[in-house]
Amino acid sequence: MKVVVVDYGLGNLRSVAGAVERLGAQTTVSSDPTTIQDADRLILPGVGAFADGMANLRARGLVDALQEAARGKGRPVLGICLGAQLMARESEEFGLHPGLGWLDARVVRLAPVDQSLRIPHVGWNDVSAKAGSVLFQDVPERSLFYFVHSFHIDGMGIDRAAMCDYGQPFTAAFEADNLYGTQFHPEKSQLQGLQVLRNFLERT
Amino acid sequence: MLRKRLITVLTLNDGVLFRTRNFQPDYRYTANFVDAWSVDELVALDITRPGEGSREHFHRAIAELSRQCFVPLAAGGGVRSVDDFHALLGMGADKVVINTGAVENPGLITEAARLFGTQCVVLSVDARRRTDGTYEVYTHFGSHPTGLTPEAWARRAEDLGAGEIMITSIDRDGTLEGYDNDLNRQVADSVRIPALVCGGAGRWKDFVDGFELGHAAAVCTTNIYHFTETSVRSAKMFLHDAGISIRES
Repeated sequence: MKVVVVDYGLGNLRSVAGAVERLGAQTTVSSDPTTIQDADRLILPGVGAFADGMANLRARGLVDALQEAARGKGRPVLGICLGAQLMARESEEFGLHPGLGWLDARVVRLAPVDQSLRIPHVGWNDVSAKAGSVLFQDVPERSLFYFVHSFHIDGMGIDRAAMCDYGQPFTAAFEADNLYGTQFHPEKSQLQGLQVLRNFLERT
Repeated sequence: MLRKRLITVLTLNDGVLFRTRNFQPDYRYTANFVDAWSVDELVALDITRPGEGSREHFHRAIAELSRQCFVPLAAGGGVRSVDDFHALLGMGADKVVINTGAVENPGLITEAARLFGTQCVVLSVDARRRTDGTYEVYTHFGSHPTGLTPEAWARRAEDLGAGEIMITSIDRDGTLEGYDNDLNRQVADSVRIPALVCGGAGRWKDFVDGFELGHAAAVCTTNIYHFTETSVRSAKMFLHDAGISIRES
């Protein structure tokens, strides 16, 4: 199985690739459109600003390749944090920016009711997974995952696989056909995070 | 509920792990140094003095930590430019800690936040208590007074795009006398971003005080554990018993 971690110049590719390798899968970190189109599993990592993420994907000519792999061939894609957000229609981070548009969803700012809660939301928080979720198979109930973000994905068009609460409930993970996304960082969430990655590799 | 974090700070001198006292490398660790599976987060700081070692050695240590540890890893020490951010992130760091470089060029905070996101920029503020009880920010390993007050500098850094503030009391570093929670609270309360507090923890109770009196989102320790499996666990058990919401396993 060819697992490709998409390199678009944002985010910690090394730790994502390292986590996948730890699970025994062969991983390529690549920004080559052909390699991406031919992948069996794609991971779209990413930390940073939405507009930069899209600009980088375009500058590297990766939008069509991702489109072909995800929509054309229906390959499983896992987006992590910004990588998950990029699948949305648009984001309101620093202005309104169009995304890949694979999901009928928007990326909006966290707005906790409790004003004393600090933004960004950084740290380990509880995630409650929906029964039957693929990504959370064999993950104990109420496991903790590591988050670091100020925006989250929001929309009726996504199947919320897991929720988190930070002064407001928000989508911690989604599963929509072959598209998977986590707002948290599985590659930084120790054993439970590795299990989520394992599920993506082995159960999708 | 978002858990309070227990962060392990590693200070590396020319790629070798040292503990520090009042910011001087003091004792070289010889034991197997990190039990990555029970800490919440790692911060690795290069404390190599200019001209005394190779940056390469630090980078290699970061790459090694990143390969082995599936927890967030922040790295810093001597960061002056966006290129330095690129280098550390390329080695596998998730966040970059800046200190002197940000005081010299506050625009670096904004530039880095724009390129890598605010969550990537951890502003480290080293402060010393003045005789009148107020505080002053120091740079260059705690050797240069800046005339800045920690609260004002933290607030400005937040506006410029910093994602977290790491507050260190130079006076308490390595003393095991407990955090300077007056300092911590003043800074934590002046910003909305999470505050990480550092310097002086010597007993588990100091962690509780860091959260409750210092208003910390995370307490950092450099010297308290000698990196054994039980020390982190005991610390967390103590915090749990004290009613602090932490991640237990």
